[in-house]
Order: sequence, then structure tokens, then C-alpha cells
Amino acid sequence: MRGPDPSWYLILSAFLFAIGVAGVLLRRSPLIVLLSLEIMLNASNLALITFARLHGGHDGQIFALAVMAVAAAEVVVGLGLIVAIARRHLDLDVDRLRVLRG
Amino acid sequence: MTTTLILLPLAAALVVWLLPLPGRAAGALALLVALAEVVLFALAVWRFDFDRGLQLQDRQSWFSDLGVSYHVGFFGFSLWLTGLTIVVCAAAIGYALRAGGDRGRAYFGLLLFLTGAIVGVFTAQDLLLFYVFFEAMLIPLYVLIGVWGGPRRLRATALFVIYTMAGSLLMLAAIVAFGLSEGTFSLVDSGTSTNEWVFLGFLAAFAVKAPLFPFHGWLVDAYRESPPEVAAILSGVVSKAAVYGLLRIAIDKFPEPVQEYQTLILSLAAIGLVYGSLLAFRAPDMRAVIAYSSMGQMGLIVLGLFSLSELGVTGAIVHSVAHGLVSASLFLLAGMIEARAGTSAFDRIGGMARGRPALATMLLATGIIALAVPGSVVFAGEFLILAGVYVQGWGWAAVGVGAIVLAAMYMLRLISAVLHAPAGGDAAEATPDLRWPDLSVVVPLLAALLVLSAWPAAISERSFVDVESEPGTELRAR
Amino acid sequence: MIPGAWVCLLAPLAGALLITLAGASISRRTAAWISTLSVFAAFGGAVASFVGLLGREREEREVVTTAWTWLGTQNFEVGLSLLVDPLSVTMMLIVSGVGGLIVLYSVGYMDGDPEERRYFAYMALFVFSMLLLVQAANFLLLLVGWGLVGLASYLLIGFWHERPEAVAAAKKAFVMNALGDATMALAFFAIIWQTGTLDFQAAFAAFGSDSAGGMSQTLVNLIALGLLGGAVAKSAQIPLHTWLPDAMEGPTPVSALIHAATMVTAGVYLIVRAHPIFELAPSISDLAAGLGAVTLLVAGLVALVQTDIKRVIAYSTMSQIGYMFLGAGLGAYGNGMFHLMTHAFFKALLFMAAGLVIHHLAGEQDIRKMGGVRHAMPRTFAAFLVGSLALVGIPPLSGFFSKDSILASALASGGYGQLLFAAGLLGALLTGLYTFRLLFIVFLGPPSELVQAHRHGHGHGEGPWTMTFPVAVLALLAVVGGWIQIAGVWHPFGEWLDPIAVGREHLALVEPTLTQDYVTSALAVGLGLLGIWAAWAFYGARRRRAVPRAALVRETLEHKLWFDELYDSIFFRPAVLLTGALRRRVEEPLIGGSIDGVGLGARSAGGAVGEAQTGYLRSYALAIAAGVAILVAVFVSVQ
Repeated sequence: MRGPDPSWYLILSAFLFAIGVAGVLLRRSPLIVLLSLEIMLNASNLALITFARLHGGHDGQIFALAVMAVAAAEVVVGLGLIVAIARRHLDLDVDRLRVLRG
Repeated sequence: MTTTLILLPLAAALVVWLLPLPGRAAGALALLVALAEVVLFALAVWRFDFDRGLQLQDRQSWFSDLGVSYHVGFFGFSLWLTGLTIVVCAAAIGYALRAGGDRGRAYFGLLLFLTGAIVGVFTAQDLLLFYVFFEAMLIPLYVLIGVWGGPRRLRATALFVIYTMAGSLLMLAAIVAFGLSEGTFSLVDSGTSTNEWVFLGFLAAFAVKAPLFPFHGWLVDAYRESPPEVAAILSGVVSKAAVYGLLRIAIDKFPEPVQEYQTLILSLAAIGLVYGSLLAFRAPDMRAVIAYSSMGQMGLIVLGLFSLSELGVTGAIVHSVAHGLVSASLFLLAGMIEARAGTSAFDRIGGMARGRPALATMLLATGIIALAVPGSVVFAGEFLILAGVYVQGWGWAAVGVGAIVLAAMYMLRLISAVLHAPAGGDAAEATPDLRWPDLSVVVPLLAALLVLSAWPAAISERSFVDVESEPGTELRAR
Repeated sequence: MIPGAWVCLLAPLAGALLITLAGASISRRTAAWISTLSVFAAFGGAVASFVGLLGREREEREVVTTAWTWLGTQNFEVGLSLLVDPLSVTMMLIVSGVGGLIVLYSVGYMDGDPEERRYFAYMALFVFSMLLLVQAANFLLLLVGWGLVGLASYLLIGFWHERPEAVAAAKKAFVMNALGDATMALAFFAIIWQTGTLDFQAAFAAFGSDSAGGMSQTLVNLIALGLLGGAVAKSAQIPLHTWLPDAMEGPTPVSALIHAATMVTAGVYLIVRAHPIFELAPSISDLAAGLGAVTLLVAGLVALVQTDIKRVIAYSTMSQIGYMFLGAGLGAYGNGMFHLMTHAFFKALLFMAAGLVIHHLAGEQDIRKMGGVRHAMPRTFAAFLVGSLALVGIPPLSGFFSKDSILASALASGGYGQLLFAAGLLGALLTGLYTFRLLFIVFLGPPSELVQAHRHGHGHGEGPWTMTFPVAVLALLAVVGGWIQIAGVWHPFGEWLDPIAVGREHLALVEPTLTQDYVTSALAVGLGLLGIWAAWAFYGARRRRAVPRAALVRETLEHKLWFDELYDSIFFRPAVLLTGALRRRVEEPLIGGSIDGVGLGARSAGGAVGEAQTGYLRSYALAIAAGVAILVAVFVSVQ
């Protein structure tokens, strides 16, 4: 087997995921929250691919592809929302965006 | 054959929804399909061999790894329940066409969809499929009551949804538990179970649907607030889904729990019978009388089913068909009276026999059959039921005959309050008699009742046969 | 197979259907004649059956034909089967013969009523139902006929549906009869349970064979009691008698047909038909005889104070049926049937003569307003006199032979029988008194104002021929009808009925000696004459008030011994109270309230949970993260 031991990838994945969680919880800007979400998704992608490698199957990789597709779709919606909010001259602050009414 | 019977109305519903027809044209199309369905049913009866068990089957694997399949077919008794459905639904569509409400396309589509779903319920031989049809039957009802109902329709719908949802979800849980433990959801292939909780789950759904005392909280509001033709289907046909379920699933698959809970269920049925009859006796309007009487009659049917005797179970089927036709006719007649007088409250109408011979004849004839005058098919069913339950103890039969005397009292009260009592404020002299569009809806139902009265054995001898795959074979052996 | 029996049964049904379906497309007169002809066709069928049966040997006089299976399951079958035997043929002849005459009478009586078609359809329906009752070859079909005559009676009592009293009376009759149907049905369930069949022959055979073991005496008693309940309700015997006087709200021919000649005697028919069961339950048979005796006395007393001409005759009917019950209960079945037949003649005659009077007086039924009708209606008076003499049992009229044969049988059947015999004799006195009270008040004396007012109102004398002809025929029958059986001389009627006995040669259980016959006749006729004399003394010679003055007695009798009030307070009122209580205490708070409770609970729970929805994105995210952490911890620890 080439390259580093797979557990390193898992550790990296865990780090990335923790960073993402911290970003979602701590930052106020919806844009950054979205970015953090992406980091979490990619962390899980990394883990999936690692496990696929570990088990020698392809299921994990297929899942990762599916996650990417979902993530892309989600970013589109999320960014769209953010742009829409910005156009209405609302504060781009998740603590202030508390009600669903526009 | 069977699949056609189910799919024809469902497909027609789609067509009615999609085609931009005017309301009346949609109604005419729906009526045409309903009548075609009657012809198809006659064909099915002709092809059916009453000496064999399950037949006219269609079977397709659905989720093979879970043992779920699309499997439909008829037993003798389910054939009669299906016939009841098809005839009553056709009459209801005919009535709706005459009454002509708003948003006709949506309305007739829903009625057709409902028809197909109920036929599905009576033919499903797979538990998951049964559940699908059961729910498919309830959803149009929610909409029909909630959108086209009377002034208090929202409360009625809410009650109906809450009760039936609670029952259905318990049934879903029971279905999942039963199917996973058996390894198949097929009603034909699965064995019997001794699990009381699963049994009670099924029982809950059917007790609400019937309804059995004390699960009838939804009944009066739903029967009063829905459009008359929907009330006719609801009390005449949909309640019989409970009969089918109790017989095909609860009694057939759970022989031991049935024995264990027999006394409890018989008691609830007997209480419901007396309770419904008593309340019907003092109810303030025509619909409420029919509603409570319906509850009482369902109690009687359950009494027959859980007598676990050949006579009682056969009687339950005969009475299901008879009561379905009777209560549908009565609700439609109530609707016609409401359409004329604006109300069916007894203190507002009366004296309608004078100068209205068609209305008087129809109401009198239906009412007299409804009170189980000896010789009527209702009487035949009740006689078999009580003769069957007599074996479980004479007390049950005594309660039953007592309730039949009560039935005579409340039906006579209804007849004379509508036809004979001094006219109330809303029954003007000018209120017209029934005309041929009205009669063409009710007369076929009455004719069916009269034919069955001359020959109730048509149903009673052709509901069950002694074959292996037959529900209730076990209970006959006892 | 005797085809006449089917003609007899189906002709009236065809008539009823034809009138109903034709509706307004035939004239009212046509409907009336269709109905009349159909009933006479039935009579033709009955005669054909009678002749057919006469042509057979004694053992073969029991013919069952089945049209199709009416109700059945895999192991239980009830056919649409007719039984033709001497008993059913006797009833067929009475029902269709007297029925035909009464329907013919109705052609005149109902002339001009706007709803004549409905009336004649109902009459034909009634005759069909009654024929079904007497021709049924099994208990279930008997119950069908039993219920249908109740239905026809309901429809006809309430025929004038714009009179609230008529509708109320119709409902009362139906419900009390339904009560009887219910007890009969219970008996039938027990019969099915024990014997597995409802066919008369098979069931009686099973009873005969099982009498030693098998069935307990209690069960047999209960079965007989259930049958008796039906008989008592239908025949208006105490305690289920209160509907019959009220049933006089119907048109008079209806009273003559249903509430005198045919339907109300069905109870007697039932006891005779089911005699194998009643004989296995002697205590119930005795009860039947006892109820008959009580009824004949009570009804005779109450008849003394009634002021409605039809109600007097109605109470007299109850009283006479009491005699029949007495006879049938003591095992003198043939004599009970004999009285049933002669009673059909003279009681129909009385009702129809009364109907002529009522018709003449434009619907007035209160005897206090009548008097001296004799002058206006001499032939009606003659017919009424014949009927009254037959009713009191004055020789050689028909009632004399039949009533005395019952009393003689009572005298011959031991201590209990002799007690009932005494009651029957007292009843004979009462019969003379109330019958001639009515006759003297209505027909004798100077014409009252009302009678004078109507004297010149009608051009057609005493009535059209359609009304007077049947009255004349019945008057003739009331005279000669009793001659077919004369105690000690010849007994063709009793011998005719003998073949229906199950397991023995002769039907009657008691056979009075000639001495007993003569003693009975002397006493009964003497007491009847005494009653007539008393009536003359009170009401004929000096016109007394129609009603006695002694307050308590009068009130008790006028309230018919307070039976109505009693039933009202022990059944109806509690039922109403119970229903009100159920609605207020159970339906609204528990059933309706529980669902409201569910709604409120869901709403408040929703409110409470809604508090957690702060809108802060980070708190949601934290909750999710915490949830994941907990799940991970759980999974790890479980592993």
C-alpha cells in the first residue's frame, strides 16, 4: 500500500469536520457559515473515500460523488438566498435573521 | 379482471382531473365510468365460481426481498362487499351529478378515486397493499368532507382525520411487525400469529373505522357535515372496510387473541348497538338518526363476526350489504329532503307525505326495510347474526333483539316526523316531490334491496366455502 | 304440490304490486277492484287447496312445496316453503274468504278517499302477509308473515296519516308487535341451537325424540314462553294488549279484517301449530290458558264503559280471543280453531255493521251521540242483532257452538280447567251485558239529534251494495257457521284437523262428556241471557247514562286498568331519561370531550415545544451537534 497510513486521512477528516462545526457555531456571516458547512461536507467526503480505500470497495466513493452533487445544489440555493437577503439590504448576520417573514 | 375493477376508476379519476371539461361533463363522464364498473362487476360475478375460494387473482411481486406483492383477488364475501361499493358509489356519483356542486372536476375525480381505492381495500391480499388502499380511501374523504362539507366541516374533518390517522398508524405498526415476523406480507402465504399487541393494533384501526363504541367520536360530525352522497359512501361502504379487515385479518390471522378478547369485543359491540340505537331515538335531525343507527348496526355486525360461528359470520356479511344499501339510500333521501326544505331537523319539517307520493313511498319503503321488518334482507342478516351469537350466550341475542325493537322505534319516529307530523316551518306546501333524476338514483338501490329480500340466500349461501385458503375455515372447525 | 296454495298466496301480492306500480295510471276504482279480485282469486286458490286435500288419504294431508332456499349457509337452510295441511287450509279459507268480503266492503266504504289506491294496495299486501303466515312451512317464514302482517297493520292503522292519533296508534301497534317478534325470534334461536332446523316437521320430530334427555325442561319452557310472547302480542292478550283499542283509529274495514277476523287470531294459530312444543311445556300452556281467562274478564269489564262504538267491539275481540287462548292452552285446539272461525264471521259482521252506522253518520263513533239508529237503518240493525246474538252465544247461532265447546273442554280438564271454566262463564255474562248495552244505546230509543240530522242526508239508504252484500253474507255465515260441529252429534271440524296432531291420533287433549257439554251450554246460555236482560234493564228500558257513575270503578275502567300509564312510566320514560343522560353524561363530555382534550393537549404541547424555536441558527446547529455527539457516544459505548 502506497502513501501514508489511512488513519491519517481520518484524523485530517476529523480536524476538518471540527473546524467546520466551529465555523457554523461561532461565525455570524451566513456566507462563512455556508463555507463551514462545505468544509464539513468535504470532511465527510474524505472519510468516505478513506473507508472505501480501507474496505477495498467502491461504495464510499459513490457516496462521496453523491454528496458532492448535493453540496453543489445546496450551495446554489444557499448563495441564492444570501444574495436575495443582501439585495433587500438586510444585515448579513445570522443572529438577526431570526424570523422567516421577509 | 380484478385489477381492471380497481384501475378503471383510478384512471378515470386522472382523466377527469386532467381534461379541462366543464363540471357537468366531468360528472357525466364519471357516471359513465361508474356504470361501466357496475357492468364489469356483473361480469365478475358471472365468472366467479362460488364453490372455490380465492379467485380472479392478479399477482405481481413488488418488494421481493420483503415479501410484498401486488396481489388482488376475490373471495365470495369480498365479491359482495365490492358489489356494494360499486353500486353505492355509482348512486352517489349520480346524486352528485344531479346536485351539481362547485369545482366539479375535482369533486368527481375524488369520488372516482375513492371508488377505486375502496375496491382495492376489499380485494387486497397483501397487507402492505391493503394499507396503501386503506389510506388511499381515507385521503379523498378528508378532502371531500373538508372542502365540500357543511358549515361545521372543519371540525368534522379534524375529528375524522385525528381518529382515522391514529387508527391507521397503529395498523401500520402492526402490519410492519406482523410482516417482518412472518417474513412475508402476503395474506395468503402468512401463517397465524399469537401476538396480542399486533392484534390490538389491527383492532384499533378497524374499531375506529366501524366505529365501535367508544371510538365513534368522529361519527356524527362527519356524517352530518359531509355532502349527502359522501355520507352515503362513508356509512354505507367505508365502514364495511372494517368488516373486511376484521374478518380477513383480525379473525383469520389471530385465532388465539381473538378468543381471548372475544368477550370484550362482543361487549363493546353490544354496548355500541344499544347506545347507538338509544341516541338515534332522541336525535334531533334525520342525518343524526341515520348516523347513530349506523353505529348501532355496525355493532350488530361486529357481534356477528365475533360470534365466531358460521351463522353469525355469514349474517355479518349479509347485513353488511343490506345495511350499506339501506344507509346509503337513507342518506341520499335525507340529502334530497335537505335540498328541498333546507334542513332535515325534525322540528322544522314534517307532513311531507301530503301531495308528495314518490318521496313518501321511497322513504317509507327504505325506512321499513331499515327497521328489519321480517322478510327484508336486513331482517335476514340480523336473524343469522343473532342466531349465531346465541350460541355464545343467550344474553347477547337478547340484547340484539332488544336493540331491534329500539330500531323499530327510531325508524318509525323518523318516518312519522318527516312524513306525518304537522308541517314545520321549512316544509312549505310548494316543496316539490321527487322527480325522475332523484328517483333514478334511489330506485336502483331500493330495487337491489327488494331483490335481496326475496332471495337473501344469494349472498348467504355464496359467501363462504369450505376450502383451505378461506378465511374462517379455522373457526368453522371449532 | 298443490298449485292452488301458490295461487292463493301470490294473487294478493300480485294485486298489491300491480296497484303500486301502476300508480296514477289506473283510476282509484280500478285499483279497488284489482285488490278485491286478487283476494277473491286467493279464495279460489284456497278452495282448490281444500278440494285437493280432501282428495287425499288422511296420512297424506300434509304437503310441503319449496320454491327456493330463502336463507341458508353451508349447514343451515330455510326454504321458501309452503305447508298445506288441514290447519293451514282452514286458515287460508277464513283469511281469503272473510278477507275478500271485507275488501269488497271497502270498495264502498272508501269510495271518494283521495288515497284509495294506497289503501287497496295495503289491503292486498295484508292478505298476502296473512296467507304467508298461515302457509309457512317453517318458523322463519312464519315470522316473516308475522312481521309483515304487523307492517300492514301499521300502514293501515296509520292510513289517515294526517291524524296524529292514528300515526301514534300505528307506531304503538308496531312496536308492541315488534316486542312479540323479538321474543319469538329468541325462541327460534334456541330451536336452531337445539335442533339445527326451523322446519316444522323436522323441529317437532326433534322435540319429540329429545324430550327424554337432551333438552332441559327450562329450555323447553323458555322456547314455549318466547312463542307465547309473540302470540300474546299479536293477539292483544294481557299484558301486551294496549295497542288494539288504539288501533281502532284505522278505517273500519281494516278493523274488521285485521283487528277482528284474521291477524289478531294469529296467536291462536301459532299455539295450535306449535302444539308439540307447548305440550312439552305444560306450565306455559297453562299460562296461556290463564292469560286468556284474565283477558276475557278484563276486556269484558273495560268494554262496559267504552263510549266509542269501535272500541267496544275491539275489547270484545280481545275477550273472545281470550276464550280461544283458554281453549288452545288447555289442549282443546280444534275447539279454539272452531271459535276462531265463527268469531271471524260474527265479529267481522259486527264491525262492518258498525261501519255502516259510522258511514251513515259521516264518521261519528261516539255512542253517546247515537240512539234510535234502528229507524233509519233497519237492515243494519238486523245484521247487528244477528252478530250480537252470535257473539253472546245464543243458540242456534254460530257463537253458541264454538264458545260452549271451549268451555266444556275447560270443565273437562281438571281443577285448573274448572277455575278457568268459572271465569269463562262470568265472561259469558259480561259478553251479554256489554254487547247489548251497545246495541240498545245505538239502535233503540228515540233518534238522537245527530241521527236525525243525518236522516235525510244520504240518498242511498243504508249503503251501496258493495257494503251491504258482504254484510248479508257474513250475517248468513254467523247464523249457520256453527252447524259444522255440534257437540254430541257430529264433529267433522275436529276430525278434519286431527291429521295435524304430531304423534297421536286425535288432536284434542281433552274430550268433554255429553253431560259436561249440556251443563255448560245451559249455564252459558243462561248467563248470556241474564247479561242481555241486565243490559235491557240498565240501558234499554230506561235510558241510563252510557257510563256508570261510581268514580273509582269508572276511572279504573276508563283508564283500561292503567296499563298505558304503567308502560309509559316503566319503559318509555326511563328510556327517554336514559337517553338524555347518555347524551349529556357520556356522548358530549366523554366522547366529544376526549377528542377536544386531545386537540387542546396537542395545542398546548405545541406551544411548549415552540418555545425552543428561538430562531438563532447557532442554537439549532449546537443542538444538532450535541445530538450527533450523544448518538456517537451511545454507539461507541454499545459496541
